[in-house]
Amino acid sequence: MQEMNIIVCAKQIPDPEAPFSNVSVNVEKKEVLVDAPDVISPYDENALEAAIRIKEEMGGKITVLSMGRKVADTVLRKTIAAGADSLILLEDPAFERLESRSTAYVLACAIKKIGAYDLILTGRQAGDWDSGQVGLILAEILGIPCISLARSVKIKDGKVLVEKTIPVGYEAVQAGLPALVTVSNEVGELRYVARTKMLGLLKRPMTIPKWGTKDLIDNVEKLSKLQLVEMATPPDMRRACLFIEGSTPQEKAGKLAAVFKELG
Amino acid sequence: MTPERAFFWKIEGVWLFYTVAFLAVALFLIGVGAYLYVWLKSTPKHKITFSRQALKQTLLDTFLGLRVFKGDLSAGIMHSSLFWGFVILFIGTCLLMIHEYLYSFLKGKSHLLFEVSMEIGGLILLAGIIWALIRRYIQRVARLERRLEDGLVPFWLLTVVLSGFALEALRLVLQKPAWGHWSFAGAWAAGLFTDSLAASAYPYLWWGHALLSLGFIAVIPFTKLFHMVGGPAALFLHHSENGSKEAALLSEEQNDAWNMGEVVFFDACMRCGRCAQACPSTGAGEPFTPRDFIQATRKALWQKHSPKGDIRLLTHDREIDRLAAWYCTTCAACLEVCPIYGAAFKFTAKKRTALIIEGKEVPDLLNQTLERLFNYENPWVSSKRERAAWAKGLDVPALSPGGEGAPLCYFVGCTTSFDARAQGIAKSFSAILKRSGVRFGILGEKEPCCGDLPRVVGETGLFQEKMENCGILFEKNHIEEVVTSSPHCFHTFLNEYAGKAFRVRHYVSVLKELIADGRLQLKMPMKFFVTYHDPCYLGRHNRIFDEPREIIRAIPDIQLVEMAHHGSDSLCCGAGGGRMWQGNELHGEARMSEIRIREAHATGAEILITACPLCLIMLEDALKTLGLEKKLRIMDLNELVLEALE
Amino acid sequence: MSEVLLLVETKEGLLDKKTLELIRGGSELAKDLGVGVSAIAVGSETGALAESIASYGLKKIYRLEHPLLKGFMPDVWVGALEWLCKQIVPKVFLFSHSFIGKEVAPRLAFRLNTDLTTDCIGLKVDPQDGLLIRTKPIYGGNAIAALKCAGLPQIVTVRKNAFEPVEPVQGRSDIIQMVPDLNEAMIKVQSLKTVPEQIVELDKANVVIAGGRGISEKEDLEMLKALAKAMSKSYGNVMLGCSRPVVDKCWLSSDHQVGLTGSMIAPDTYIAVGISGAIQHLVGMIRSKKIIAINTDPGCNMFKVADYGVLEDYKAFIPALVKKLEE
Repeated sequence: MQEMNIIVCAKQIPDPEAPFSNVSVNVEKKEVLVDAPDVISPYDENALEAAIRIKEEMGGKITVLSMGRKVADTVLRKTIAAGADSLILLEDPAFERLESRSTAYVLACAIKKIGAYDLILTGRQAGDWDSGQVGLILAEILGIPCISLARSVKIKDGKVLVEKTIPVGYEAVQAGLPALVTVSNEVGELRYVARTKMLGLLKRPMTIPKWGTKDLIDNVEKLSKLQLVEMATPPDMRRACLFIEGSTPQEKAGKLAAVFKELG
Repeated sequence: MTPERAFFWKIEGVWLFYTVAFLAVALFLIGVGAYLYVWLKSTPKHKITFSRQALKQTLLDTFLGLRVFKGDLSAGIMHSSLFWGFVILFIGTCLLMIHEYLYSFLKGKSHLLFEVSMEIGGLILLAGIIWALIRRYIQRVARLERRLEDGLVPFWLLTVVLSGFALEALRLVLQKPAWGHWSFAGAWAAGLFTDSLAASAYPYLWWGHALLSLGFIAVIPFTKLFHMVGGPAALFLHHSENGSKEAALLSEEQNDAWNMGEVVFFDACMRCGRCAQACPSTGAGEPFTPRDFIQATRKALWQKHSPKGDIRLLTHDREIDRLAAWYCTTCAACLEVCPIYGAAFKFTAKKRTALIIEGKEVPDLLNQTLERLFNYENPWVSSKRERAAWAKGLDVPALSPGGEGAPLCYFVGCTTSFDARAQGIAKSFSAILKRSGVRFGILGEKEPCCGDLPRVVGETGLFQEKMENCGILFEKNHIEEVVTSSPHCFHTFLNEYAGKAFRVRHYVSVLKELIADGRLQLKMPMKFFVTYHDPCYLGRHNRIFDEPREIIRAIPDIQLVEMAHHGSDSLCCGAGGGRMWQGNELHGEARMSEIRIREAHATGAEILITACPLCLIMLEDALKTLGLEKKLRIMDLNELVLEALE
Repeated sequence: MSEVLLLVETKEGLLDKKTLELIRGGSELAKDLGVGVSAIAVGSETGALAESIASYGLKKIYRLEHPLLKGFMPDVWVGALEWLCKQIVPKVFLFSHSFIGKEVAPRLAFRLNTDLTTDCIGLKVDPQDGLLIRTKPIYGGNAIAALKCAGLPQIVTVRKNAFEPVEPVQGRSDIIQMVPDLNEAMIKVQSLKTVPEQIVELDKANVVIAGGRGISEKEDLEMLKALAKAMSKSYGNVMLGCSRPVVDKCWLSSDHQVGLTGSMIAPDTYIAVGISGAIQHLVGMIRSKKIIAINTDPGCNMFKVADYGVLEDYKAFIPALVKKLEE
């Protein structure tokens, strides 16, 4: 069986599972402030898990790409600790808050710079904006087959076999390599990375290439930033609860049934 | 004629006997050698300290066997019979060999004494075997297994003893010595045989008995009989480690590698099943028993380190559940009852450490919980900012050093800080401290996690980090006196934090002190029937059984009744060992917490009192799921005491 | 011809309600832009589908038909819509934020050299430049972002229930058949088989009745099921949901779970029975139109976010409610 050359695109974001009271909106700066550590976007972790399982089965190499204004290798080294082989950071202020198309474009430039690959895996959507576009657009730019919402990814006879979630159940599809697959959480949670492993890795010196616009983009004007008109806080979750009065459950039940009728 | 035993009386081909004996002993020694080989090979570093104290404890445990009596008088008597019967016969045989080959002293009165002793020894042994067989096959004691090995071994020994007595009987029939009646059992049996039958049967029975006995010795290492050798060895290593600081540090370093004491223990375990009987997980019908886990670990160790595989001939061990290592609640009920101090929770801990490092077999929810703990300093889905939210409006002082003496740092803990029900503990305790005029304070948002959860689930790296962070924080804040809500925090600080510069107590100790010196006056009569649930980490792990009860009894008019399982055999609520944060992959036929609530309900008590936030949450949940909210009320000890202050 | 286009979708062979919502949204935008709103029906046989939306005030209905468009193969659907957009050159293209929308829209937007915004809960035309202001929730709903993108067509996917569905009107839309230029070489992903599964899709429910920790016995879930049955007669699709403890007890499978680690839903009515309202659960149902809480604990969180509260033991209340509904 051939060895697989896999690229995983992983985004670093503020923890989407941060407690609610830790998230606030700066309306003037049109920014969301999250008082929480940065993590790897959860679906991207699933993509990494899928990649590692393929590597365990058939051998190969996993390269992780991460893109942003500031990408902390302390966060991304977790991918190496989990089983990836190398990490490339795409770091540049120009890479911040880009439209999905531009994000995909930068990733495509980086992938072209990396060279040959068999499979690109990424999460179905990022945990911050949940747009769900970059993976699909990336496949379009690279001109490779694109499969989304994978709940299992396997390689067989030089093809990628995916079970993808569809409204009625699932569909088994296949495509030739190289291909791009966006992955959903059903492929499996990323295996646990023990703290001792992580600390050991953090202590080790590692060469992590950092590419910016000068390494990747000929014309920075090509990158379009998000045009935010406004950033607002969501409305207060609390509602004025009207307690149904009554001396017996039956009486209250009758009143509630009436409420239902009224709501329609 | 002087009474004396005729050696090899009327037996020809004695050389054959010696050959077989030699082979039997050789097999025995080879077997034991195999164990030594595996033990040494599987433990990377071993340092055994010899101390007289350890030796003394070992001898006491081996010869008095008090732990075998503990909780099961019948088993104790049965085992003592086996033990002493065997020992008497063994000593007798040795004396006989000395007499024959070195110095003949068993003559005359000595011989008669010898004969009587051997009779008694044999009978005691026989009684023990029969009792053992009755317990296992007729009474069918639940914790005793009935595999082939379990029947074969006592049965074999039975044939050895019976053939011995029968042989003696035949010899007496043929020899007719004047002193024959001193061998009273054999003499009685002699009456069953005619001279001619005796003559023809004698040589066969002699060789038969010889082969059975020698064979018995030979198979010791290949069956669970090895506990005769392994048991005392395990006891000695346990007692040595207990006293040795070096050993404790060494075992700290070793993370997931086994140490000598553990490896010997696995082989010494003879499947008595007391651990399975005591284990709350087993009791709840979960796919975990300490016994099976230990035996599976033993087998895996042999398969890994022994070139010929497992030395035991008839094991047929059950395969353990894939998630077995995660079921243990670390309640230490097994350690309480194991005659050779086996602590299954220490073994599951090592397995968990290995699983954590490997990463793939960590249950999803635990995976997420550990990440959350790392990111937010608590395993609940809560923000660090909310850590002191329970204290809002209660005027709870923040910890401020300076002034006379060190203030008491009330270490609230993650669960007590964030869980709505458990917050009641913090509210009550802080109110009590204020009323008593104790100078105390809380760390508030700065309060870190003590690291107990990562420790018990095998994330030793994360625990080390928490321990260091906590240590640094305490030092920075000049914290010398700590009191905790949770027995888990208490246990971790007290026993697992290395080189700490602060004193730590659980709140029951503080309450007791306040009552004793009069700062707390429990005046309000509370005419209730109450029962008390001993939390595992307060009770079994740290032997604090009496103080909570004293505090309860200090309340006027209160009546304390005990549940069926209380004190050192209290039943675990099911939250320990990280189980509070495990999902529904780990489940059994019943819930441990529900089993406990039923016990509480059965006492007729109106209030169930506990002293641990995890127990509190688990028991409250079980109360709801059993629909007993109107029948029983659950209170933390602080809440009870506060009501008695009013 | 500049117009507002929208993609028609089906559900179990019939017109999907989301399309009617899109028509409403599209019509409002079209009015502001001074253009018409049209729809596209895609498939190998689109006659019936086109008919089903012919009376909703659309200017045109494009029937995009080709044998390769049978079923749903993203590669050909994207190709077909790309072809159509190059023919028609729409001003705005609306998709539902649905399985098809999520698959097709990003790739189509790329091919048309324009930027897509997904999961919009609001759309407005900026009068200054005629661009759409797209409003969408981000950070799990902790913030609401409004943004603009350059490029034509202005393309978005729209969240369910962002607009009210339109009612039928007088008149009939023009139906135009178009055959896109497709070929098999476009298909890069082969479908091997489709396996239907019994999945509880709570987001399809109009009413969700959810049980929580306060439910004391598994058997009591039957009570909730009876309530669901009674309500389903008049209140649409009624489903059973739950909070995490019920799944942990293995009383219901995890696809019934509502919350942070379950489904995020926004049904018309959410009835929380014995659920305290921990934030992890609230996240999953807080956007329900109406929330009714039934609990014995007056201080529980759920009452703070509910529209109606019943302080009663469910064991007595639910059967009584079922009886009243059956009357």
